[in-house]
Amino acid sequence: MRAFNAELSKLFSLPGIWLAFLIGAFVPAVIAALDSTAQKEEIIAGVSTRLSEVGYIGLALGVQGIIILGVLAVSSEYLTESSESGGGNQITTSLTVVSSRFHFLLAKASAVTVIGILLSIVAILTTVSATNLILGEYAPAFEAPKLIGVVCYWTFTALLAFGITILTKNGIIPLTVLIINSSVVAVSYLLSKVTKLAFYLPDIAGSNMFMSDGFHTPFTGGLIMFAWVAVLFIIAVIVFHRRDVAS
Amino acid sequence: MSVSSSRKTTRILSAELDKLITMPLIWRTFVATFIINLVLTAAFTSASLQGAADTKSVLNIGLASMIYLQAGFIILGILATCSEYTGGQVQTTLTTIPWRGLQLISKHLALAVFTFPAALVITASGVLYTVLMMQDTVAGIGINTMIQTVVGAAGYLTVTTLLSAAVGALLRRTTPALVVLLGYYFIVSPLMSDFLPRVHNYFPDAAGAYMYMETFSNEVKVLTPMQGTGIAVGWTLIFMAIAIVFYRKRDA
Repeated sequence: MRAFNAELSKLFSLPGIWLAFLIGAFVPAVIAALDSTAQKEEIIAGVSTRLSEVGYIGLALGVQGIIILGVLAVSSEYLTESSESGGGNQITTSLTVVSSRFHFLLAKASAVTVIGILLSIVAILTTVSATNLILGEYAPAFEAPKLIGVVCYWTFTALLAFGITILTKNGIIPLTVLIINSSVVAVSYLLSKVTKLAFYLPDIAGSNMFMSDGFHTPFTGGLIMFAWVAVLFIIAVIVFHRRDVAS
Repeated sequence: MSVSSSRKTTRILSAELDKLITMPLIWRTFVATFIINLVLTAAFTSASLQGAADTKSVLNIGLASMIYLQAGFIILGILATCSEYTGGQVQTTLTTIPWRGLQLISKHLALAVFTFPAALVITASGVLYTVLMMQDTVAGIGINTMIQTVVGAAGYLTVTTLLSAAVGALLRRTTPALVVLLGYYFIVSPLMSDFLPRVHNYFPDAAGAYMYMETFSNEVKVLTPMQGTGIAVGWTLIFMAIAIVFYRKRDA
């Protein structure tokens, strides 16, 4: 528990984390607002084919904030400090204090999960209010199961970013790959046009939890994404356990 | 020791170039970008191998991966300037070169000297691969158009790299710089081209795209290649100027 508190405190004292919060809280709302504005006329006329996606599209595309959270949580540990303060890594200190590596990772992952859940709730609030503000009475009702799906999707995304960063130790690769993949030109989306197997990729399967026209049912989608997170975590724990701290 | 000013400039430039090419991460980024680009080009080529092709479509397919490719060059630019701030290299740099504006300009120049050939190799390899794979179906290839386009694409990537380097120098930390730039190029820019297409044409990436799209794209063109180049270079110079002003004022 104390390790968990320590991880929370470390996370909140990172300068980059505020960027993550800012992006996480507002980008989905902005994307949803733009999309709603573009579709407003069709929706009012009752001919929109994408009514069920309104708002959720923002939550599906606006995951950059949560990605930054997951990546920063790990990459900040491996950042080399300036030579004035000894040129060390935070990870050496962290592992001196919490010597069980498994407990260290568990505490960190829990901290990321808790913040991820809170951030996704904030994002849902801003997105729903943005959609309601623009569409007024035409705004679709947001159902609880789908919103829970969004929370799961966001949290799993944070944990995926977290797991990948443990393997790479450097924030550049996971940030680039995940941000590009959350964009309009997503690689996994292109792949899904080529092969059915792409529907089992974590982001596509996971988005089935709240996007309606999915390949999987919401439950299987969530399960597939969770399986990715679980497998990645097992690999990350093993690698982290065996690796020399400083290397 | 007194050195003439032209000698001084060459020395600074060679020092910056030296720092750049001895950075392992730079080479790893370059090699990774090269390989990923070839894989993507191969995927795009095999996807469109059916049907007849002409020079236009060869260039279109060979450069289809440009949107992903620029991510590698954004990283390159950020690494070049942000690496100074990990471990306090910047203090050593400024002790030996106490002229901050000159130092940062030389850094950008050195980066351009490194990036342009690298970008040329990567874009040319992509186009060459497509040509080789599609030579049975290609009717006739205009070599001149091809060279023009590849050089334009390499120029665009170089300008993007310099812009990223300027933003990196401004923000000084890799992660925020990466988030800001990737967020712009991959999230904001596509949204803008949907919702504000006319304004979007004057932003660095859309304007820069005219540097190489002229010959093969079927989209409506608002700018000529020269205008596109001018706007993209202008943006880069503005960001560089801001970076230099901050660099001179700020505590290192």
